[in-house]
Amino acid sequence: MLEARLEQAGVLKKDLVQDCNFDCNDSGIALQAMDNSHVALVSMLLKAEGFSPYRLDRNVALGINLTSLTKILRCAQNEDILTLKTEDTPDTLSLVFEGAENDRISEYEIKLMDIDQEHLGIPETEYAAAISMPSAEFQRICRDLSQLSESVAIEASKEGVKFSCSGDIGSGAVTLRQHNNVDKPELSTKIELTEPVALTFSLKYLVNFCKASALSSTVTLSLSNEVPLLVEYAMGSGFVRFYLAPKIGEEE
Amino acid sequence: MAPVSKKRRMIVFDRNGKRQKDEPSESDEDSNSHKKVKSETREQRLARGSQHAPSSFEEDLGRLTEEVNELKTGGQEQHQKWSRPDLPESWDPKEENLIFQQIECDEGTFDRKTTIQLFGVTEAGHSVLLHVTDFYHYLYVAAPIGFTRQHLAGFRTFLENKLQTGLEPAIACVQILLRQNLYGYTGNQLSPYIKIDVTDPKLIPRLRNLIEHGDANYENMWPAGDGGTKTYDALQFVMRFMVDTKISGMSWVEVPAGEYHLVDRREKLSSCQIEAKVHVKDLIAHPSEGEYQKIAPLRILSFDIECAGRKGIFPEAHHDPVIQIANMVTRYGESKPFIKNVFTLGTCASIVNTQVLQYVSEGKMLLGWSEFLRQADPDVIIGYNIANFDFPYLLDRAKHLKLVGFPYWTRLKNVKSEPKDSSFSSKQMGNRDTKATNTDGRLQLDLLQLVQRDHQLRSYTLNSVSAHFLGEQKEDVHHSMITELHNGTADSRRRLAVYCLKDAYLPQRLMDKLMCLINYTEMARVTGVPFNYLLSRGQQIKFISQLYRKAKEQSLVVPNLPPQPSEDPYAGATVIDPKKGYYDVPIATLDFASLYPSIMQAHNLCYTTLVRPETCERLGLQKDIDYEITPTGDRFVKAHRRKGMVPLILEALLGARKKAKADLKNATDPFEKAVLNGRQLALKISANSVYGITGATVGKLPCLEIASSVTGYGRGMIMQTKAEVESRYTIANGYTHDAMVIYGDTDSIMVKFGPKDLPTAMELGKEAAEFVSQKFPTPIKLEFEKVYFPYLLINKKRYAGLYWTNTEKHDKMDSKGIETVRRDNCMLVQVCIETVLRKLLIDQDVEGAQTYVKDLISDLLQNRIDMSQLVITKALTKNDYTAKQAHVELAERMRKRDAGSAPTLGDRVAYVIVKGAGGAKNYEKSEDPIFVLENSVPIDTKYYLENQLAKPLGRIFEPVITDAGVKKLLNGDHTRTISVSAPMVGGLMKFAKKTETCMGCKIPLTKKEEVGGAVCSDCKSRFGELYQKTVTKVSELEVKFGRLWTQCQRCQGSLHCEVICSSRDCPIFYMRMKAKKDVVDAGKDLRRFDVDISW
Repeated sequence: MLEARLEQAGVLKKDLVQDCNFDCNDSGIALQAMDNSHVALVSMLLKAEGFSPYRLDRNVALGINLTSLTKILRCAQNEDILTLKTEDTPDTLSLVFEGAENDRISEYEIKLMDIDQEHLGIPETEYAAAISMPSAEFQRICRDLSQLSESVAIEASKEGVKFSCSGDIGSGAVTLRQHNNVDKPELSTKIELTEPVALTFSLKYLVNFCKASALSSTVTLSLSNEVPLLVEYAMGSGFVRFYLAPKIGEEE
Repeated sequence: MAPVSKKRRMIVFDRNGKRQKDEPSESDEDSNSHKKVKSETREQRLARGSQHAPSSFEEDLGRLTEEVNELKTGGQEQHQKWSRPDLPESWDPKEENLIFQQIECDEGTFDRKTTIQLFGVTEAGHSVLLHVTDFYHYLYVAAPIGFTRQHLAGFRTFLENKLQTGLEPAIACVQILLRQNLYGYTGNQLSPYIKIDVTDPKLIPRLRNLIEHGDANYENMWPAGDGGTKTYDALQFVMRFMVDTKISGMSWVEVPAGEYHLVDRREKLSSCQIEAKVHVKDLIAHPSEGEYQKIAPLRILSFDIECAGRKGIFPEAHHDPVIQIANMVTRYGESKPFIKNVFTLGTCASIVNTQVLQYVSEGKMLLGWSEFLRQADPDVIIGYNIANFDFPYLLDRAKHLKLVGFPYWTRLKNVKSEPKDSSFSSKQMGNRDTKATNTDGRLQLDLLQLVQRDHQLRSYTLNSVSAHFLGEQKEDVHHSMITELHNGTADSRRRLAVYCLKDAYLPQRLMDKLMCLINYTEMARVTGVPFNYLLSRGQQIKFISQLYRKAKEQSLVVPNLPPQPSEDPYAGATVIDPKKGYYDVPIATLDFASLYPSIMQAHNLCYTTLVRPETCERLGLQKDIDYEITPTGDRFVKAHRRKGMVPLILEALLGARKKAKADLKNATDPFEKAVLNGRQLALKISANSVYGITGATVGKLPCLEIASSVTGYGRGMIMQTKAEVESRYTIANGYTHDAMVIYGDTDSIMVKFGPKDLPTAMELGKEAAEFVSQKFPTPIKLEFEKVYFPYLLINKKRYAGLYWTNTEKHDKMDSKGIETVRRDNCMLVQVCIETVLRKLLIDQDVEGAQTYVKDLISDLLQNRIDMSQLVITKALTKNDYTAKQAHVELAERMRKRDAGSAPTLGDRVAYVIVKGAGGAKNYEKSEDPIFVLENSVPIDTKYYLENQLAKPLGRIFEPVITDAGVKKLLNGDHTRTISVSAPMVGGLMKFAKKTETCMGCKIPLTKKEEVGGAVCSDCKSRFGELYQKTVTKVSELEVKFGRLWTQCQRCQGSLHCEVICSSRDCPIFYMRMKAKKDVVDAGKDLRRFDVDISW
């Protein structure tokens, strides 16, 4: 029996993955899946602390079709309180939305799937560069540059971080320097660097990642040469991480 | 051949099968006279055997011992035995008529004069080249008003000057003859035409140009129009000769004794045993009837070469040597080859029943083979893809190695064989780029081209073609494997040689099975064109040949019309709107037999009967008495004014077919039967192609008036039939039900008479057919052929039903336009639809059909469907597709990966759809099945469900169950269990680490004590159960793999060797690959339990 109450029904939209398992255990609800072309991996954790209460009798894996889930989550308002409930050997997952202001209670059930999938993860590594910046800024850069080209080169050095691309119609570059906003710390840009890094990534995926911007006001990009890029959106009680393999040479 | 399965079979090495009673001449090279005598008796026996019945088993055994002796004594005499039987000494050109079957007819020169060369074989198996002299090519031109005999000499000199050929006279003869234009009826009047004969056929195009451009307007007698002057009878020289001498392709010809002159040994142009010269007037052509429908003992060589390619690159003649050539030579009419050998580079262990010729150098081997070819002197050379691969490769290779004596494969002593690029395009078959190699005097039959031409298959590899027609698989050795085998030991080369021999034997088997030689021979005889035209030319030449033959009888001349492609197509056949649904009452089908030919006959439609309104008035013809107006408003005179030529041709064709069919019934000899069956087929095809030619605007003889009138009549007839049936079979007329025509297309209608039992429906069908037939002029006949019961009508040209011709048992399940017969989808769809139809129609079990579909879909989503079922094949027909297509993109990607194995133009590309990035187009998601297997790329099961299965299933189930039911079928609970495999390629896979999940509940095992184990702590109680399950799974998979492996070993014919086959057409191959992987994976799972036990 799983019972979890989420104060905010965070909107989880992912174009990357269609079906995946939500693994529920003592520490919280985790999701890990790779996109169909196996270039990107998404990993999400909603820590148990984020739920109040969080009760779990035994570990369960919930196979969910994300398209269906999104449909149901759309019925909720952002401020609604969400409760997830399921059996130990589940066929369905029930979602209950409680209105924050009024007494509206809506109950939905989603049919679960039995997904036989290999569980893949990216080992934790030390990154050569970690850049944290406002998520809106990152989203804008990705969106702007995706007009020009399919891929972006990210160069991190002591001076700052440079996003550059070139396409058929021209080229563009955005450079961010380290700066501190004392009033609003979430708007500052921080660069931690052990050595300079330059890598190229597919913009199509980055733009997709940016859809998670709503979850957090800051985003952290961690890079090392010849290692996948880590894009992390930290939430109060959990995180969403995206890994993206760098482009090598001309090919993907 | 399947050497393994036929180990005991004997192959005879002697090639001197004497058929003459005469004593053989002692040949000089023969040093071993004792042996000679021995082989003599055997040969005579063989000759007898071949003429009567296939040799008995004792004879086989007898030959076996002799064979062994022969092998022991070494192969010095083998060359001599390859050759044809010697000419008997008593043979005297003064006394014996020269009778032979001509197989090729070509233009040639002899003694500096243009001649026709007839290559052929006598009944005793001697090769013949006959030079036919004094035949002149000619053309006609309409004589202008006022042109009389007095002008002839002047006109001749005038043309002579225009042509300016120097000393040799260019014009052989100019004369006035009374002829008639083929096009249009002009009251049966003959008008004067000038026939111009030239000495050299090459002058004809020049002469034609001169006249047509108005540059040969003698004394300006022809009215000066802008178009110049029309010429008549534009026929190629060879066809002209055959038409005028009444020789048809593959027919027998005779020259009486004394009328022909043997060519002196020194002047001989060819390697034929008899080379003679004859004047065209002494040549007798025998029609292919009675005694002369036999076929001479043609020698048929089937061969295959193997090349040692480099890794990943398709063999190229400039780099990669030819390492083996396998040959089989069979005499027509015998079931077993009498020569069976293999030429190998390097040593090769001996092979049962096969002569192995080992060579140290490639050059020597090639020269040895070339010598063998000339010695064995085959009349027909067959093989698989020889035209585009083997022939050009051998020639290019020999050129590269500078082997001067190699490329002489023709029967003409100093004519080299050379590969030429040619492209063939026809409406029927699309465009194909091919290479053509000349082998003057020998016919070529590339089984690949032939099968591509006559049969629609999913794949055209030799393997799948033989699996389809012979029910026999062969091991498919990938070309990179060949080099490995070649570089191994004598035994590994033996393995390759066996493989090569099989490749040489299969075309032979295919040819026998498909009866290509017989059917094509009959087609050549019926239509009158040379044999090699049948493969290299389209339909039109066959009709032209028949038309000219008939035209000559009737003194008609055919104008040379420039092709004028017309844009506006005429109306085609009609389709009665289908009343869709599922019918559980018998549906009778009424067909018009040979609709279009019979319309042409019934209404006397022909080039010669087409009449203009002005002509009608001028001749005072009366409507409906003298002429008829067709539904399209064209006028044709009736048969009593003039019988059309096309109807005559059709009458002859259909009459001959009837006769052939009657003969077929009485025939007892299997060969005679085969010939007759081939003939009636050829006749049917020819009759049906006539309509097409009149409608082909780019062709030589277009006549849209005929074509559109034919379809016009056809449309009217279908509608009339519908009306007749529906008005007669009504309750008002005393029948139990009102009949309803539920569908009709081109030449057939489907009628629901109403009664629920078969016999009544059949009775009504027969009666209706007879009743309606009376309403139409002869020979139009409506036939009752079959009843469909039950019948599922999905849409226009899409239906399925059980086919009944008798009341006891249904004949088959018939389906049209449904995915079972289309090729652009995967096997899964085909199998699924077929099973569903079977359940719906035969078992009438709707519930069962639905359950089957649900199970299938759930299997698909869980990756349990065998991959061979998911492979889609499409032909790569041209390079510049405007829209991106899956198979084109894949071919491009494969070319980048490995240029050698990538498909080329004309190949069928096999692919599966794999999961791609979000929003990726389908064409980006195609992948090579082998690549998918090797890297376990996940299959896009959704694509198969939604794009492949959904629509056809929806169409079939729609008339049977409700819409909601159909939806549930595709999205029900059974779609909720899926399985996704992790690939070994993809950007992130280099970095990702796999976390094991619990086998009981799929929870990732991340805790320290659980890592590497099989179950999580919660599922520990189920340990025993899960372990049991896994062990069972592993052993099941092992058994499955073992069985597949043995299956493949059986197929390759040896249980002691590793399986090296990588055939893409073989379902077992995919299963075997998948089983292999599954065993490995399951084994890994099993080992995880060991970790758990330790705690």
